[in-house]
Amino acid sequence: MFLRNPSYTNPESCQHHAEYKLKHGFNGYKAIQKFLVTSPIGKTSVMKPNTKVPRCSFCNGCEGRFYLCLICSSFSCLDHTLLHLQSETGHAVFVDIERAELYCGVCRDQLYDPDFDQVVMSKHSMGVAGGTTGNESIGQRLIKRRRLVSGVGLDLQKSKCRISTKDLRAKSCYPMGLRGLNNLGSTCFMNSVLQALLHAPPFRDYFLSGGHRLETCHHRRISDLMCLLCDVNAIFSAVYSGDRNPYSPAQFLYSWWQHSPNLASYEQQDAHEFFISMLDAIHEKEGKTRNGSKGNGDCQCIAHRVFYGLLRSDVTCMACGFTSTTYDPCVDISLNLDITVSSTEKGKKLTKQNKNGRMSTLSGCLDLFTRPEKLGSDQKLYCQNCQERQDSLKQMSIRKLPLVLSLHVKRFEHSFVKKCSRKIDGYLHYPFSLDMAPYLSSSILRARCGNRIYTFGGDESDMFSKFEIFAVVTHSGTLESGHYVSFVRLRNQWYKCDDAWITEVDEATVRASQCYMIFYVQKSLQDKANEDLNHVPNSPGRELFLPIAGCC
Amino acid sequence: MKPKASVNRPPTPDVVENAPEREPTLQELINVKLIETGEKERLMELLRERLVDCGWKDEMKSLCRSVVKKKGRNNVTVDELVHVITPKGRASVPDSIKAELLQRIRTFLVSAAL
Repeated sequence: MFLRNPSYTNPESCQHHAEYKLKHGFNGYKAIQKFLVTSPIGKTSVMKPNTKVPRCSFCNGCEGRFYLCLICSSFSCLDHTLLHLQSETGHAVFVDIERAELYCGVCRDQLYDPDFDQVVMSKHSMGVAGGTTGNESIGQRLIKRRRLVSGVGLDLQKSKCRISTKDLRAKSCYPMGLRGLNNLGSTCFMNSVLQALLHAPPFRDYFLSGGHRLETCHHRRISDLMCLLCDVNAIFSAVYSGDRNPYSPAQFLYSWWQHSPNLASYEQQDAHEFFISMLDAIHEKEGKTRNGSKGNGDCQCIAHRVFYGLLRSDVTCMACGFTSTTYDPCVDISLNLDITVSSTEKGKKLTKQNKNGRMSTLSGCLDLFTRPEKLGSDQKLYCQNCQERQDSLKQMSIRKLPLVLSLHVKRFEHSFVKKCSRKIDGYLHYPFSLDMAPYLSSSILRARCGNRIYTFGGDESDMFSKFEIFAVVTHSGTLESGHYVSFVRLRNQWYKCDDAWITEVDEATVRASQCYMIFYVQKSLQDKANEDLNHVPNSPGRELFLPIAGCC
Repeated sequence: MKPKASVNRPPTPDVVENAPEREPTLQELINVKLIETGEKERLMELLRERLVDCGWKDEMKSLCRSVVKKKGRNNVTVDELVHVITPKGRASVPDSIKAELLQRIRTFLVSAAL
């Protein structure tokens, strides 16, 4: 069995520990294993049934931390571990009873031994009936589906050729794919999401390399109806054509209305709702042709191939520790803001701030998302082990990351008292480079079990957890009325896409706006995308780009 | 005749106990009682829960991080960390948590005394 801890290297153990292991091997560990007890929330302790009150063999005290010598089983309190060493030479390795952690009395420091953690974890999986430590395999398909750069089956070579021929027609030196979208009547919600999707590397490459062509479109051949994907393809062709006049995605809007008649109006809509609805429409249209009769998971439609991720939900019984795990597919993650409205004694509400007075950050929101949540006493779930309803703990984590990670910031709160919804305008700080490793199931499971050195949850590699931002959809205004603007980043330069107007902006402008949806792409894909576009010259200086204005 | 060697032999010393029996303090008595009944374990669990909820644990975690950053990962021991954050930790426990636990202990004592 090999162990891998991608986020940090295993600490080296001291010579005293090495000496102990040479002399005693695993005898001490195996003896301790009998007495290991793990609480439902994952804390492991050593419970010796005979001595109820552990007393230090030197001072007879019974307070503070207690350490058990692995060789002679004598107890010492922290201060007297050294005394034990002096009286018995070579007895350097102890176990902290309360925490089941190794300690070296000579170095006076904690010890980390993968073999000891292995002993702890195997006891844990033995003890908890049906409990999982995350080492189950969901199915060979999911683990085998490593999202390598070329693994999605996209033909990037073709797209390269296409861009080089269109170079000659480009009127300006600006990067390909920047084109304003006309507002067709409160459609800024649609335009902002489209701009983000137009620059999502795997999504863009699929369409530009002819992933869906009019000639081979099944839907069109069957009946002469609209095909949403053909319309998306048309938008890509139009936007990447080199023509800088603002484009009107009217055909697409009509097709989308056909799919979501409940949202078909000229009223203002929610950008996230549109995003989900659009991906759903693509899945529906393409899903049938691609998957045929296969109804089970692993959909091969472009929406799923690019955005599909897997969330893991663990529900733990607080009484017996039995955990039931479910996996839910998702195309994006909706996050609550990590703020609490604090009130003074007088009952006046302070300005919204973080629990500790710090500003909201994306990592704070992700922490909140993966924090164990106590389900209320009115939400007691049935525990199969206890055969009755018990208080439970629920924790979310990410089992599989998508190629493009879409994060949705829930900026509204509903007040049950006033029976109305309100928008939260608080500033959210987000990084341009995001490492999702701490939120993966393996990391969450490891933290729950006391950071043991052990392989949790399969063989995820940390190579796929690094993301780079490429688009932000921002909102200004209220719940009822507002305006969406998106920012896209091409080769480290930010561009503001405000309906028909595209302008170069600096980072500060992007940060100053209020993010609503943030789009990240896997770093390996971003690097490849930048490479492909490298031969296209960038604009000199920082002149503003003034296209011919469209109607608003 | 030479006197018997046993006469001149010094008297056998009294068996000195490792830890001389001293009157256990009230604190010790209560502590033992708490452990025996399992109440201490319950109180510890409650305390852990409260400290996590109010953000105390996260504060201590970030304190530890700053200490480790300053000294370097390989130059810090657990003992040092404990010594550094213990005074700050004790001082920053919210009063509401102290009050709740004291109340629980009082209730326990009343029930244990009966």
